[in-house]
Amino acid sequence: MLEIFDYDFMQRAFVVGIALSILTALLGSFIVLKRYAMLPDALSHIALLGVGIGLVTHSSPIYMPIVVAVVAGVAIEYLRYKKKLYSDAILSIFLSGALAMAVVLINLSDGFNASLFSYLFGSITAVSDEEMILTLIFTAFALSILIGSYRQMLFVTLDEETAQASGIKVFLLNIILVVLSAVTVALAMRIVGILLIGALMVLPISTALLYKENFFKTVLMAIIFSFTSVISGLFISFYLGISSGAAVVLVALLFFILSLFINL
Amino acid sequence: MSIIQVKGLDYQVGDQIILQNISFDINQGDYVALLGPNGGGKTTLIKLLLGLIVPNRGEIEILNTNQKKFTKCNKIGYVPQNVSLFDNSFPLSVYETVSLGLAGKKSWFSFLTAKEKTQIEEAMETASILDLKDKNLSELSGGQRQRVMIARALVSQPEILILDEPSTGVDIVTQKKFYQFLKNLNKERKLTIVFITHDLGVIADDVNYVLAVNQKLIFAGTAQEMLSCESVSELYGTKSHVVHHHCRGHEC
Repeated sequence: MLEIFDYDFMQRAFVVGIALSILTALLGSFIVLKRYAMLPDALSHIALLGVGIGLVTHSSPIYMPIVVAVVAGVAIEYLRYKKKLYSDAILSIFLSGALAMAVVLINLSDGFNASLFSYLFGSITAVSDEEMILTLIFTAFALSILIGSYRQMLFVTLDEETAQASGIKVFLLNIILVVLSAVTVALAMRIVGILLIGALMVLPISTALLYKENFFKTVLMAIIFSFTSVISGLFISFYLGISSGAAVVLVALLFFILSLFINL
Repeated sequence: MSIIQVKGLDYQVGDQIILQNISFDINQGDYVALLGPNGGGKTTLIKLLLGLIVPNRGEIEILNTNQKKFTKCNKIGYVPQNVSLFDNSFPLSVYETVSLGLAGKKSWFSFLTAKEKTQIEEAMETASILDLKDKNLSELSGGQRQRVMIARALVSQPEILILDEPSTGVDIVTQKKFYQFLKNLNKERKLTIVFITHDLGVIADDVNYVLAVNQKLIFAGTAQEMLSCESVSELYGTKSHVVHHHCRGHEC
């Protein structure tokens, strides 16, 4: 057996990484095709606000980012769908607003330290047993929702108006997608990092899209790219001693660049 | 038998009146062209019929049910505007696209049944796209995409088919073929068809009912009645001359 798996923290990192690689690829497929690729970035910065609130109030560093990201995610979707505001403008406002508030809170708590660095760029040693179990339960739940509603979710992604005309509850499905994304981002920030989680959700599907296959094959390819990126990134992170998030995203970026040349 | 009844419909956004006092009936098996200038309220009227927006005043009955309580969405097939300008990067095969037409009546966590798979094949066959079923939408021409969207609308076996400017972005020959295809659907399946067009000349000999809207209902009647200088002038708010070409049935 490889030495890497002798360490408990690496076993946890691989379990969480594998679960999240599948989930982020599937969620990212719907998000990118909705032209909503900025959403994970905005949600991750909002999750940082949750970290800041957690530091100031001494509340859970796991659950507070989830709660804050979910509430903000619902607000974003409400403003986009019901109030018909431009989605990129809303995302930009939430992203910069949340980041500003997070910096103020972290300043107040005197929390600029190594722990914060691991939130920003990810750390393979950061995943606790509690986070691993929570991630596995949530991944199983989220995958079952996405697979169970994939036909309706795909129709909404393709054309919201026609989907609504055919009786599909468009707003509900959009809210589900945003909430699942918010929780995923908040869970993934420990291993991938707040600044890099957006790339993990966007790069695998963007790579798969270059091959111009049908939806089913495209999503399957995105999952394979994401899975391979996470596994390779964790190995690289362990043996080279670099941030896990950066290693994962660089592998995903490499796949994208190679695919770009293959499909020129 | 009346299949769509509209009574005293008003719709406005803020102070801007979009539609005012619109009333008409559409019977089962009618083939209806909805005409009007840009900004005249045609698409808004379609959205009201589909229940996508709610009128400020008036009533809509679809298949003898008030639109507010209408839940049989699969009984109405809808083809939106600009299908020929579809996003080329969206990864979707023809089969996947047509199968989405069943998404509205499928419950979550359910797979396609053998009967539904047959429905999908039949809808593709009706639209003459069965040979394209494994192709991606990005590989199709504008005319082929139109047929894919029609097949998607037909797969739930609707009683009414509503199309918003289906001929936008395709050439005149494809338009003629497309309207002939719609006419066949109307005749052979007794399907009630309502579509928005700007080109009355192309469809004048085919439709049996014309609705002309410019905030108000300007005209409701046959295409031949509509093709008078007065009606066309009133609809578009400018002096018009109608020129008739008697060349139906042969090349011209």
